[in-house]
Amino acid sequence: MPVFLLQRFGQALVAIFGVMTLVFFIQRLTGDPTYLLVPETATQADIEAMRRSLGLDQPLLVQYANYLWDMLRMDFGRSYVQNIAVVEIIASRLPYTVQLASGALLVAFVIGLPLGLAMAIWRKHPLTNALMGFVLGAQSMPTFWSGILMIMIFGVWLGWLPPSGSGSFAHLIMPSIALGLLSMATYARIARSAVIDELSKDYVRSARARGVGTGRLVTRHLIRNSLIPVISISALEISQLLAGAVIVETVFAWPGLGQLTVQSVQSRDFVVVQGIVLLGAFVTISVNLLADILYSVVDPRIRKGSRA
Amino acid sequence: MNTTTRAARFALPFLLSLGAALSAHSTASAKELLTIDLVNEPSSLDPHQQWNPDSYYVYRNIFDNMVTRNDAGEIIPQIATTWERTSDTETVFAIRDDVTFHDGTPLTPEDVVFSVERITDPDFASPQLGQFNKIIKAEVTGEHQVTLTTDGAYPALLAQLVKLSIVPKHVAETMTSAEFNEAPIGSGPYVFADWQRGVSVKVTKNPAYWGDTGPFDSVVFRGVPDAATRVANLQAGTSDLVVTLNTDLAQQVENSGRGKVLTVNTERVAYFAMNGALSPLDQPDLRKAIGHAIDREAIVDGLLGGYPQIVDQLLSPAHFGWTDGIEGYSYEPEKARELIAGLDTTPDMELGLATSPVFDQRVVQAIQQMLTDVGLRVGIQTSDMATWLKDQQTSPDQAPMLTFSRWSCACQDPDGIMYPLLHSSSNWSRASDPEMDALLDEARSELDEANRAALYARINRMALENAYILPLYQAAIIYGAADELVWQPTSNESLFLNRMSWSE
Repeated sequence: MPVFLLQRFGQALVAIFGVMTLVFFIQRLTGDPTYLLVPETATQADIEAMRRSLGLDQPLLVQYANYLWDMLRMDFGRSYVQNIAVVEIIASRLPYTVQLASGALLVAFVIGLPLGLAMAIWRKHPLTNALMGFVLGAQSMPTFWSGILMIMIFGVWLGWLPPSGSGSFAHLIMPSIALGLLSMATYARIARSAVIDELSKDYVRSARARGVGTGRLVTRHLIRNSLIPVISISALEISQLLAGAVIVETVFAWPGLGQLTVQSVQSRDFVVVQGIVLLGAFVTISVNLLADILYSVVDPRIRKGSRA
Repeated sequence: MNTTTRAARFALPFLLSLGAALSAHSTASAKELLTIDLVNEPSSLDPHQQWNPDSYYVYRNIFDNMVTRNDAGEIIPQIATTWERTSDTETVFAIRDDVTFHDGTPLTPEDVVFSVERITDPDFASPQLGQFNKIIKAEVTGEHQVTLTTDGAYPALLAQLVKLSIVPKHVAETMTSAEFNEAPIGSGPYVFADWQRGVSVKVTKNPAYWGDTGPFDSVVFRGVPDAATRVANLQAGTSDLVVTLNTDLAQQVENSGRGKVLTVNTERVAYFAMNGALSPLDQPDLRKAIGHAIDREAIVDGLLGGYPQIVDQLLSPAHFGWTDGIEGYSYEPEKARELIAGLDTTPDMELGLATSPVFDQRVVQAIQQMLTDVGLRVGIQTSDMATWLKDQQTSPDQAPMLTFSRWSCACQDPDGIMYPLLHSSSNWSRASDPEMDALLDEARSELDEANRAALYARINRMALENAYILPLYQAAIIYGAADELVWQPTSNESLFLNRMSWSE
């Protein structure tokens, strides 16, 4: 186990260094932020002065060395556009992203899992086709459309929920559903195929032969055994959700990291983008690490295998 | 029946007075809080730093400016009450003596001098430096008097001072710009209250303001990036004013019966630039053909909801120097084809039309189609805004062949748009005409207004004759507002809260 973990940590460090380097160079290939920071009427001298004040006039390798040195000292820099510490900007946005991701995950889990289970157990039932249609619809509906539709219905016509913004539980409902519906479909499909897979196994037939009822079969045997693929998908989903739900956050004016990412990329705010990407890399890598550990908890065979 | 009547007679006065009390209460309290949806939160509330609408929509209410413009666009006093040009380079301003900053300190001429020095300090690296660096000296020359000295005669000085916010010296000089941005102190009609990062900025009424404050106790500016969401907020009543709508959404607001559309033609001029330094566009007849090929009425009426106004000068009626009677290229595709047929070098190569997603792609595609219709080959080259800007600000031999863009100097002065787009020394300019350069230089420092306007009219005619650049239309800005909001938007795209009111 410790060797296995150490290996994983080593890989994680290399991956983070790789991400740091990539994000630095790729961004600098995409254009010069100075032009976006000065008005159209700025003269070449103004542009040069702005570039100097941002340190963008130095050779690329010098900039890279400074950047690595700053990262080592845990100094993530200040936003070009807002002139605020990146840590502060991200810290103010992160809670919103966590809220939205949790809300969406809850929606996805609470609807997706039972749906998948039902579709697997009663897969010959005519209603299942309708459910499948619903899942497919939820997955194929673009959020910029379903989001606006929800805003029009529940925010404008019925007036039940605030159309956009943040600040209360009511604000969280629509974005969570809009975002959760996508993952819900993924969960439903994964759960369905996992359960169908399990249903064809010998132990299920034996259990049935012993006279175990469907309810007991599902709760005692099937769910536990079908959870492995669900957990691996969760690792992917969570890191995706935390990296920010760009469209949902834009449509609902939800001040999370997704919105911040788009704004920062558009304004070439390199420092902020670096911060967000590093955070995203960190979250993805940690969640995957966690998933590896969780596998071994759910499935003793993995635990034993890693010990050997 | 009798009892009912008696009961009614008894109850009616109470009910009426109750109703009156309630309605009086609701008018008084209805607009304690005004909510405005911007596209993004401000980048900075330090008025000498960031320069984008989402920032200045907010900070122009926290700070007073040296002078301002009234709703008709005329320059009127604000912190400076009177001004007099004492020589070609010196202007003396009388400064109000009854203004206090939000921390209670009086505003003095020293604060005005400090504000000029701060924004023109190259080390401070203000993005607005280029708008003020003609001012080379600011000094206190009397009890309530400041004298500004410019580098040569500078007729656009007042137009630029409309944007010079006065910051308190005793606060700003002890802080970095970043610190000042977090707790901005001005002298304006609204006081900075709270900034929820990524969400909203709140300002409250300044009870000690020397002028009119408007009826709102507090105002919240929120960042709502999606225009359809801004409209939904307006219709749901959770916001009272929303900025930057396109014509489809404006139509939606108008048809919904909830909220109204407010629109104004800004000083932003849409133009079509052609790279006259490169073949085949170095042939004036080809450039003229392009002028005749573009159907501006179709663009304005068909795509832009009829809001913008077609212009034939590289100016808008909101600018100083607008001259009636200058005629541009009418839409005559036949004439365009004839001109192209008569060219020495036939343009068989594909001409690149540079654009970025920021610009209305419907207009770009329409122009491409119109040019294709007269037999030209035009390819749209899309890049991101940073790259687009870089490609534009280069020497003519590297610049794109064709460009559709919109220009605002935020100064309503012809020098701010015609000099950068037409003078050969500017990176933006595709023209190189020594005679026009000389006229632009002359107009830039001509202090007599009538002479100056005549010079710009001459330059505009010259630019049209040679088809150096094609002015298209004066862009409109569309706001959505609650029915009760009374407000006249202005060409300089400001949201002055103290010029808004609320009627039930």
